[in-house]
Amino acid sequence: MKFRTLGEAFIIIALACLPAIGEGFYFRDKVSWQSAIPASELATVEQAHAWGDIVIWVDARPDDEFAADHVPGAFSLTEDRWNELLPQFLPNWSPGKKVVVYCSAQSCNAARDVAKRLRDEAQLKDVFVLQGGWEEWVKKNR
Amino acid sequence: MKFFWRILGVIIGGIFVYAGAVKVLDPVQFGLDIDNYKMLPWFVSVRLAFYLPWLEIFCGLALIFRFLYRGGLSLLTVLVLVFIGATVAAKARGLDITCGCFGHASQHWSFMQHMAIDLAIFCALVVAMIKEWLGLALSFRFFGGVGRH
Repeated sequence: MKFRTLGEAFIIIALACLPAIGEGFYFRDKVSWQSAIPASELATVEQAHAWGDIVIWVDARPDDEFAADHVPGAFSLTEDRWNELLPQFLPNWSPGKKVVVYCSAQSCNAARDVAKRLRDEAQLKDVFVLQGGWEEWVKKNR
Repeated sequence: MKFFWRILGVIIGGIFVYAGAVKVLDPVQFGLDIDNYKMLPWFVSVRLAFYLPWLEIFCGLALIFRFLYRGGLSLLTVLVLVFIGATVAAKARGLDITCGCFGHASQHWSFMQHMAIDLAIFCALVVAMIKEWLGLALSFRFFGGVGRH
């Protein structure tokens, strides 16, 4: 009885592998397999500085952290207040500018999510996530 | 009564087929959702993102068509239990996560809404499991073998 249930479970587990492998093959070039953020969408602090005035900094951290301190000239843009803050941010963007989004540290996801929404919903190009986030920026600048 | 169990199987199965299908359409987003739990390295999360939706679909179909039924039921029970555990653990660590269980539909659910839906599904699965095992036990007792249910 137990073995039959286990056997059935293994059959389903094995069957599910087939389309999953097929789908993985189909998406092989559209997915970053080693890192949640593809290298082409990351920017280091040095790179961002080298870009100079064409960089627009976007702070994806919570309001209180932004209020405490932030990269000079950065705009606050969080998912919680997306509809309110996006219209304030967009007039500052123009073609040719590079948007660099950061959150607290390497481990946070807010920058990645905000950058994705800027690309997908606001249709912006050249949107990058700052490697190491705010922690890294502070380390390199203060 | 047999009709009730059939309907229950179709409803639970349908939920998982739907949940799997919306994730199959956007595996990258589901990978990010798994990554948000901060429990697995990315290379595991992204591979699971391609596999788990299909597992849900196959288990759901097993419940709907009552083919490999017990295997599907057991797998879904384990999956939901693991998911509830992961969600509670994420909450305990202060992570603000979207589960991604039903694609965009579940993106703005609160933690309590997640838990209510998950526990309801888990209870339904457990009830169906108990019925299945009790049915098997009775068939062994009275007929000396595995019967059809």
